[in-house]
Amino acid sequence: MQEKDSDSEITAEPVVSGLSRQARIIKKLTFIIPVIILSLIILMAIFADLAWLGLPDVRLAPYSPTKMSLPDRLMPPFWAEEGSTDHLLGTDKLGRDTLSRVIYGARISLSVSLLVILITSAIGTLLGILAGYLGGRTEAFLMRITDISMAFPPILVAMLLVVSMGPSFFTVVLAISLLGWAPYARLIRGETLRLREMDFVAQARIIGASPVRIMLRHIFPNVINPLIVIMTLQIGLLIIVEASLSFLGVGIPPPAPSWGNMVNDGRNLVDVAWWISTFPGIAIGLVVMSGNFFGDWLRDKMDPRLRQL
Amino acid sequence: MVRFIVMRLIQTVVALVGIAMLIFTLVRVSGDPALMLATATSTEEDIQRIRVNLGLDKSLPEQFWIFVTDVVQGDLGDSLFKQKPVTGMIRDALPNSIKLVFPSWGIAMLGALLLGVLGATRRDSIWDNGVKFIAVLGQALPGFWVAIVAVYFFSVRWQLLPTSGLGGIDHYILPVATMAFFLLPGMMRLVRSSMLDVLDSEYIKMARIKGLPERIIIWKHALRNALIAPLTVAGMLFAGLITGAVIIETVFSWPGVGFILVEGVMARDFPLVQAITLLVAVFVLGINLLVDITYAYIDPQIRYQKT
Repeated sequence: MQEKDSDSEITAEPVVSGLSRQARIIKKLTFIIPVIILSLIILMAIFADLAWLGLPDVRLAPYSPTKMSLPDRLMPPFWAEEGSTDHLLGTDKLGRDTLSRVIYGARISLSVSLLVILITSAIGTLLGILAGYLGGRTEAFLMRITDISMAFPPILVAMLLVVSMGPSFFTVVLAISLLGWAPYARLIRGETLRLREMDFVAQARIIGASPVRIMLRHIFPNVINPLIVIMTLQIGLLIIVEASLSFLGVGIPPPAPSWGNMVNDGRNLVDVAWWISTFPGIAIGLVVMSGNFFGDWLRDKMDPRLRQL
Repeated sequence: MVRFIVMRLIQTVVALVGIAMLIFTLVRVSGDPALMLATATSTEEDIQRIRVNLGLDKSLPEQFWIFVTDVVQGDLGDSLFKQKPVTGMIRDALPNSIKLVFPSWGIAMLGALLLGVLGATRRDSIWDNGVKFIAVLGQALPGFWVAIVAVYFFSVRWQLLPTSGLGGIDHYILPVATMAFFLLPGMMRLVRSSMLDVLDSEYIKMARIKGLPERIIIWKHALRNALIAPLTVAGMLFAGLITGAVIIETVFSWPGVGFILVEGVMARDFPLVQAITLLVAVFVLGINLLVDITYAYIDPQIRYQKT
């Protein structure tokens, strides 16, 4: 798993008109390809089946992710010698279709990330604005907690929760969210500190606007851009965290297909069935890379100041 | 300065008590650990006896007080699973973790310095793009997956290296290499971006005007200052080390703290998991304290500004 900072200085320097034609094309591609991959994966997650529309039989995934078929166990992908087109990416040790599980896995990974992003950004923004605007002891106290939270590995919190509550979707979301608000709080506080000194805030104060009103109506709308950038940059990070938790057995409990627990399933079978671990791993890599590239692009477009983020 | 350190120390102790309370409640939200330990054949009396043994028949504040006094005396309880004091288990496992983490960290740090400086000084060259590529790849591929793929090629396919466990020097190669690869990208980005900042500064231009050789400007003047900025994220690097150790030890069945932690979670061994979490919390707070004091030492403004 990656460091908690999602600083992505690495790609995309600001576009200078002097760039060569070739460089501009490459720059465009680092945006277009990730967006295509992300859209495909999101569509895949939505249309894995249409049970949510009341049409359980209409599905993109060829099989149900939990359907076992022992005679078909450990079948290789279709291009290998004993492979068949019935199971394009092969099957695992219980005869479950790898392709279907990867497709359904997208659902789990994306919904965990989305939920965590919503929860943590809300908490982090609230605390960040409070700390930045109120200052003084409130700020010192909140920032101390933020520092500690950023240094604490989320894996440990997840383990503690799993030991007490047992593994579940809810435990994973709670475990990641408990510490995950910290980077938002730190960034938004910095932005608020800058905004607090600006003329329009002073004017609002002179007119007699209450602190709550200033924070809500004047500060909040101005931190939305950096907020969106950091939310996007968090997608990749969260997918890796969720996968790592599931891999260690403290994430999404089987038989639900999560990319992390699929890699774990195939771990002791790499010598006979490499495909079980390989495909979910590639899926994780693709989504995370696309998310990071997209986030970098968005940052350069919306808020180049955040390059040091 | 003394006042600053004392204030920070008090804050750290308060934070530690807070975290201890948090861990204590988190472990107990599930309800009754005694029921978890009970087997199908246990009678009501057996369960009651387990409760008394674990001190669960007392009130929560009382339990917390007992927990704190025990911890202060260095007694973190017995493992439910192995029936041994957890402090002993951790003491046995810790050297193995250190043997894995230190070389990996050293290699990653060295690589990060070399590649980060290379990327920053030859910006937008092939070298820089190579460095960016490694960073993008290293951040996108999950560490556990890279480790498994490495095992597949080096141990299963080509049979060059052992798959897991402790042993001679050959047992170290795969775990250390994969862990270093896991740690490298984050550090490398930090070095690169803070190096870019420093190279832009006036005193570097001054050094150039003076005619100092580029080698000395980069490795002596710039790098020293570029390394101060990453201090702020020392805490996050520590979190990365712990996460890495847990994952890599699990993949390679390396009997360190991370490995017994994962075993403990599987067996729902809450005293063990609780103890390790508490220990990590102490380290996290300690590192934060050290970083703060170092900063206050370097920059007097911090000392007087907020205590």
